[in-house]
Amino acid sequence: MNMRKEVSLIVGGPQGAGLETTAQLLTASLARMRYGVISDREYFSNIVGRHSYIHLRASSEEIPRSLTYPIQIIGAMDHETVFTHFGDIEAGGAIVYDLSTEDKSLDNIPSMEKDLTSRLRQLFSSLGLDGSIRGLIRHVSSEMKVLPVALNYPELIMRIAEKISLPAAQAPRYVSAVVYGAIAALLGLSFNGIDYAIKMRFRERGDIVSINRMIVGEVYQMVKDKYDLPFSLQPSGLDHSEIMVVSGNDSIAMGKIVAGLRFQSYYPITPAADESFTLEANERISVEGVDLGAITVLQTEDEIAAMASAIGAALTGARAATCTSGPGFSLMVEGLGWAGMNEVPVVVTYYQRGGPSTGQPTRGSQSDLLFALHASHGEFPRIVITSGDHLEAFYDSIEAFNLAERYQMPVIHLLDKFLANSIATMPLPKLDHVRIERGKLVKEAVGERKRFDSSYPIPPRYLLGSGAITYHAGDEHDEMGHIDEDPENREKIYRRRMEKLRLADEEVPEEKRVFYYGDEAAEVLLVGWGFVKGVALDAIEELKRDGIRAAYMHLKFFSPFPSRFAKKMLEKFEAGKVISVEHNYLAQAAVVVKIHTDVKIERNIVKYTGRPIYLSELVGAVKKILGGERRVVLTHGP
Amino acid sequence: MARSPLEYRTDVWVDWCPGCGNFGILAAMYKALGELRLPPDKTVIVSGIGCSSKTPHFIKVNGVHTLHGRAIPFALGIKLANPELTVIVNGGDGDLLGIGVGHLVALGRRNLDITVLLHDNRVYGLTKGQASPTLDRGLRPKALPKPNIHDAVNPIALALASGFTFVARGYALMAEHLKELIKMAVRHRGAAIIDILQPCVTYNNIHTAEYYQRRIYRLEEGVWDPVVRDPAERREKMLNAFSKAFEDGDKIPIGVFYQDPARDTMVDRFAERLPKYLESPPAHQKIEDEGRPIIDGEIFRKIFSNYVVETE
Repeated sequence: MNMRKEVSLIVGGPQGAGLETTAQLLTASLARMRYGVISDREYFSNIVGRHSYIHLRASSEEIPRSLTYPIQIIGAMDHETVFTHFGDIEAGGAIVYDLSTEDKSLDNIPSMEKDLTSRLRQLFSSLGLDGSIRGLIRHVSSEMKVLPVALNYPELIMRIAEKISLPAAQAPRYVSAVVYGAIAALLGLSFNGIDYAIKMRFRERGDIVSINRMIVGEVYQMVKDKYDLPFSLQPSGLDHSEIMVVSGNDSIAMGKIVAGLRFQSYYPITPAADESFTLEANERISVEGVDLGAITVLQTEDEIAAMASAIGAALTGARAATCTSGPGFSLMVEGLGWAGMNEVPVVVTYYQRGGPSTGQPTRGSQSDLLFALHASHGEFPRIVITSGDHLEAFYDSIEAFNLAERYQMPVIHLLDKFLANSIATMPLPKLDHVRIERGKLVKEAVGERKRFDSSYPIPPRYLLGSGAITYHAGDEHDEMGHIDEDPENREKIYRRRMEKLRLADEEVPEEKRVFYYGDEAAEVLLVGWGFVKGVALDAIEELKRDGIRAAYMHLKFFSPFPSRFAKKMLEKFEAGKVISVEHNYLAQAAVVVKIHTDVKIERNIVKYTGRPIYLSELVGAVKKILGGERRVVLTHGP
Repeated sequence: MARSPLEYRTDVWVDWCPGCGNFGILAAMYKALGELRLPPDKTVIVSGIGCSSKTPHFIKVNGVHTLHGRAIPFALGIKLANPELTVIVNGGDGDLLGIGVGHLVALGRRNLDITVLLHDNRVYGLTKGQASPTLDRGLRPKALPKPNIHDAVNPIALALASGFTFVARGYALMAEHLKELIKMAVRHRGAAIIDILQPCVTYNNIHTAEYYQRRIYRLEEGVWDPVVRDPAERREKMLNAFSKAFEDGDKIPIGVFYQDPARDTMVDRFAERLPKYLESPPAHQKIEDEGRPIIDGEIFRKIFSNYVVETE
């Protein structure tokens, strides 16, 4: 049997049916067998019932950095999943579905968006299909040699439920276990790995562990016996002995804890809130009964209060942050300006989602770059850092605090939903080289002190409670912090405030702010930021196999912008061979590049549907650009 | 021994209109701070925006002059990060009951140990006399082109309903009485608010010193006991306070409406969850050791072991 190097699959079902659990189980069991995993979670702003899915890619050779189509397996918890995703399956793939839904028809799926229903209806009529699951399965198995893995979910669960006298009402919650068991078998995962994952997921809840083991075990054996494990992954070539399974929200929360975060305020918002949950779950940092510290995590009445209270905490010397998404950040910007004016080191962890307005609350986006850079009235310096993957985000969240304190200004750590909600395997971070830099912190002082002493580029930072007496004001102030509108004072204090960013630009090495990946002699340059990194890196490798030498310039800092490095790189390429790749309409990073380097990026590949850029579509788009197109708009993904 | 009120003066010129009620409030604050012997370095005055919000610049303790309506959440962060600080909020009625009213309600729910001094002159002064949330409907102070179209909010009733455990009303021109209220409010453990009636000599020609002089009376002059001494008394004392809160018109009561000293504060609530919170609050925790995080690789592995998969 030919074993696979990697596999891509989708598990779908109604929101609230345990999909996230399935993703965690799959990831953990794959991780247990040393496979690298990345998975994206796509869902609606809804608690129960709307279609949600996990798109997962696992590899025996590396930790995958991107998602791609087509997929080899669909694990369908319901018939809507089959209808929604069958078009993305590779010839020879497999669909795990519920035999008891065979007669279900496309015509009666209230949760499906009308647009999709009507597109499918049109397609089915052109193919001569009757719109039932039975018809569709027959079609894909004959036309595309797709393997139908038909299991009668209710019957299966009831059979086991009777054995252990599980109340019938509880049966539906084990559908995810059936799908998980079937996929695990198709992938040829070891039962040991499956067992490990179940125990890891449910921990102390012994009853749930045993029921899941029974159902998963039964389905696993059944599928294993019936099919010859057609998608078995080859043994992993990765050689780590342990690995983490984390979401982006988790890895950032962990980074903040290592950074010494001691106060986090937040108002609930998707896709940021999970970070605060992870922090709160770990509020007491204690190891073997020894308390190493504690984080005060506060849910506030709104984002305005989240920002204001984080600033207040920072004034006392606590490392303080808030986390939010676009609508919340919109409310925070007045506070951001106050932090800029009063030189307060506060960190805003900003997970972008689709805008404008409520936009697409649960979908990804990179459309807030210009907003993050310019939000709030007036001029003040800020640092804006973005991160390309889970591990980068971990380290960046520590760096955010160091820079905030060193330069006494707000730092925006700009991320996106793609990263926030992707569950991936991540190596344990190396902490040997991590430093905590607290800048010009004054913990003890006496009497009235000039908090804004203009004789320094960056003044000593007297804390509230340090013994000093200090004043702060959102009004323009003198060195003491009292309101002062004198023109000479204004010029002096304004200039010093603004010059801090120039200082940061001089001191923070550009090699830490922008990265060049790929062949020095490449002919094509992709330019991107944030979560685009993974797919861009995979794309340049794939393009290389097709004879196209491409490189990727990863922008990490947008303020202070690494203009010299970026300009030097950009100028090596022909104008028509530089392509910006972004999740927004305007190609916003290209706008920033133009401002700072005077280089105009004339080609772009953009996607603003809220779904990630897939490797398959990015490679195709680059080829189109090389074929003469100026702009390619990507739309793949349900 | 009290400190001299003079010790709390800064050399910043007080730029309120001559005759402004704020002068009385400021004088009462100087005296109250002196008599409480509040150490200037451990005291923080936080304000919003407006005439009264300039107060921090005039008092020699730490001053944080913030954004319109947002003094309370700034104060919240300061107090939670360093509970040993005495935190006082000064703000106007527009600031605390208009743009920032959500934060006022939230502070009550938290019962955090902060004192709110609500400068209540029923108009927006700095923007030239518009109606504030405490101005009754139909009234037309001189700057208004038309009579006020909004009903007034009742600050005392709102504070009671929000959960403040010290609720009082003072009058700016009765500085001695006000000073005593401020001292009680600062000493109180929990969220405290004083609704301070004050004339605005420039824009409010209705609620003048004469207006108040004729109507004001002290609650403590009659039979009045606002203090909850037993949880069983809460309901009764609260209802009495509500009833007094709506006494308006010819007679306006000042004094303490309600005080419940036994309710746990938000600091208590965090201390229950985080055993070392008081001894080592966020502001004082050690987070690094010679520039290295206190969490090294080994500790990290232990803290986040739930996320670690040991491979086969």
